[in-house]
Amino acid sequence: MRVFSSTCTFDYSWEEVSAANWRKYCPWNDKSTHVVAVDTLSRVVDLETGILHTERLITCHQSVPQWVLSLFGGSATSHVYEVSYVDPSSKKVTMCSTNLTWSNVLNVRETVVYQPSFLNPSSTTEFNQEAKITALCGGWQRIKNKVEEASVERFSQNAKKGREGFEAVLEMSRRVFSEQRELDRNKLKP
Amino acid sequence: MSASIAPECNNIKEKYDTCFLKWYSEKYLRGNTASNECDELFAKYKTCLNIALKEKGIESMLDDARKVMKDSETD
Repeated sequence: MRVFSSTCTFDYSWEEVSAANWRKYCPWNDKSTHVVAVDTLSRVVDLETGILHTERLITCHQSVPQWVLSLFGGSATSHVYEVSYVDPSSKKVTMCSTNLTWSNVLNVRETVVYQPSFLNPSSTTEFNQEAKITALCGGWQRIKNKVEEASVERFSQNAKKGREGFEAVLEMSRRVFSEQRELDRNKLKP
Repeated sequence: MSASIAPECNNIKEKYDTCFLKWYSEKYLRGNTASNECDELFAKYKTCLNIALKEKGIESMLDDARKVMKDSETD
């Protein structure tokens, strides 16, 4: 098993980040083009705690190394199942995801947490990501190692792109929000 | 907004996503967690999506993943 982890701070409030997070893979994000579809499977608010529970299906399309395809077969389209929790009272978003495709060869489990940053909680948000990647194919340790290495490599490339793309979404969200507010204000004027 | 795995559901998904995001920013994050104004749109979107998930054989993969996720939560 290999662990990939990363952390960063976004210069936006937790409210902005948690809202923009729902459209992280929209056309404003021109970096994460490997994500081709995001579907919501279920969504409920726990009436007691106020926690929003969401299940999503994320569909990716990306080039897979030829040696992987020839070893294991399969296609370049893959699916990820994601469960997320938003706790508005403690201001915490937790997202756990796992791969649906290739699951007999590789297990990727990712946990992402968004929380107000410790130093500047009202205007900046901390992002923590951890992924555990385990190759499952029995037998050859050398192949398992190679599969894990290639996966960690791809994961870290996508994580970097994801961060850059999300920055663009955050910026656009803020701009659109302030324009909307301006419009609303003008409507109210006599 | 992002596309749906089933292109025939894109239209209703777009409507639902827009409704949800508005509800999330304007109500949910401001403490009004109980309202359900997007439920009707979500039901329509889900009807469309579920047909596609069955056809593509994703439904059964999801069932397996849900079980694994549940097991690890209780670990």
